[in-house]
Amino acid sequence: KRTKRARKGTKPCSLTDKEVTVSQLGLGYVSDEVILFRYCSGKCVATRRNYDLALARMKGQRVLSRENVDRARHSPCCRPTAYEGITFLDNHSRYHTIYEVSALKCACV
Amino acid sequence: MILLNILLLLFLADKVVPFENAEWTAPMDCLRASEMCNQNAQCSSRFRIMRQCLVGRDRSAMLENKECQVALEVLQDSPLHQCHCKRGMKKELQCLQSYWTIHMSLNEGEELYETSPYEPMHFSDEFRLASIISAIGSASSKGTVCPESVNSCNPCLDAAKACNLNAVCKRQRSAYITACSRSMPIALSPEPCSRKRCHRALRQFFERVQNDLSYPLLFCSCRDKACAERRRQTIVPACSFEEKSKPNCLELRRICRSDALCRSRLADFHMNCQTHSITSCPNDNYHGCLVSYVGLIGSDVTPNYVDANHANITISPWCTCRGSGNQETECEAFLRDFRENACLRNAIEAFGYGADAGFLPFTESHSVAPSEKPNLHPGIITKPDIITNDVKPAESVCVFSTCANLKDGAEKCSPSSSFECADENILDSTMDGSIDSHQSENDRQSSAFLSSVSTATIVLSVVFVIQVV
Repeated sequence: KRTKRARKGTKPCSLTDKEVTVSQLGLGYVSDEVILFRYCSGKCVATRRNYDLALARMKGQRVLSRENVDRARHSPCCRPTAYEGITFLDNHSRYHTIYEVSALKCACV
Repeated sequence: MILLNILLLLFLADKVVPFENAEWTAPMDCLRASEMCNQNAQCSSRFRIMRQCLVGRDRSAMLENKECQVALEVLQDSPLHQCHCKRGMKKELQCLQSYWTIHMSLNEGEELYETSPYEPMHFSDEFRLASIISAIGSASSKGTVCPESVNSCNPCLDAAKACNLNAVCKRQRSAYITACSRSMPIALSPEPCSRKRCHRALRQFFERVQNDLSYPLLFCSCRDKACAERRRQTIVPACSFEEKSKPNCLELRRICRSDALCRSRLADFHMNCQTHSITSCPNDNYHGCLVSYVGLIGSDVTPNYVDANHANITISPWCTCRGSGNQETECEAFLRDFRENACLRNAIEAFGYGADAGFLPFTESHSVAPSEKPNLHPGIITKPDIITNDVKPAESVCVFSTCANLKDGAEKCSPSSSFECADENILDSTMDGSIDSHQSENDRQSSAFLSSVSTATIVLSVVFVIQVV
């Protein structure tokens, strides 16, 4: 990170860890067990294609019709490309497995 | 100091490679012993005869056979008679089978205790370190002991958290839980789960996960029912422990003894958890008893806590002495070794209360023990409260929390490296800055302190080596 502009930019798309209890996931399971929740966050500026540039310009210039163009994204999203499940004991002494609840890999898609 | 030198000598002796034409009496594992036997024409033929003798015959019938008797006499002078196996060695099962080929016929058929095929346990550094870590933890209300002031304290929950934050432990734990709770559609099978698969997954869990993560799940100390119930549930008893009917204990033992692995683990449990006096285990080795107790989990005599009573621990396999007939006394004795075993109970309680309960049988409080690999795992042996007084550990113990943040999926959270991971986290650009500066400052302090202790350890152990050599 040498230039001023680079320092100002937020971090690129990557995995972030957060320790949370299973209850905090809000999926209806009541358990005080702490798990490691991983999620994807960060900017996807570097992976923009010509598509994104063109779309952004045309949205700005009002070339495209206004109906659905606001929902068209002109930059990739930072999303998980692989997930993992968690297994835990709830507060009523029953084991549960929730599949695909935590991110394993992230990518700009 | 003398003790330490002896320890070191033992460790060096382990590393000495025996001469090719060593005496038959040199202790070796049974795989090597059977290889050596096979190179000798007479020995190998007798070994083969012996194996055939044991097929489908009980001991008394076997000893009536002249040929079998002769074979046994010859084999008693072979290396197979003195051989051992190591826990978790490669081809462990083959080794155990070789062992029992000889010892099945030497043992009295129906005796209460058999000799363990496993090498006697030495006090391991890794474990001492684990107990020290728990001592550090207890000072920061994170260990396996409840501080009196905190009301909502559940060491078993902390143990689950520590496991969830470690990649290997998390994976293996969810593997055995899945294996133990996979239920077929009820229409297809009346069985709630595949017991066999569940047992295999449990054995794998305790083989592959480091002790300082797996043992706290089993042996956490509890002050309330919720915690004790969680502890009881650790091995998924509905599948691995309970059955529709309770078999007779002697019948269970007979089933176990027909399987080389179960038989070995049971013999090992009897050897290491034998109550010698009111409180102590053989050689005061609590750790040895816990290891052989864990060795039984996933076998036919899987033991567990019988209820969620937190004040009074009762351990038992799933069996009863009803219908023992005239063997009632023997059956009661077998069951007593689990239910009323002071050594086992004290070992479990001592584990729950960390380092000051017999895990540090050292007269010197400031001694530093050489570890097996001085350059990799320095064993930090100091009085725990020195650490806790000089350095106020951060809210969470480094070993449990920071390694989970390392990015190389299958990290080995070895204490020596984990004390540096606090710094790595600060540099780690992917962290979202959730560590407040106060905590990282503390982490840095403790890591600096501990790494200086580690350095001292390395230097000291080098000095020891020079001394001995």
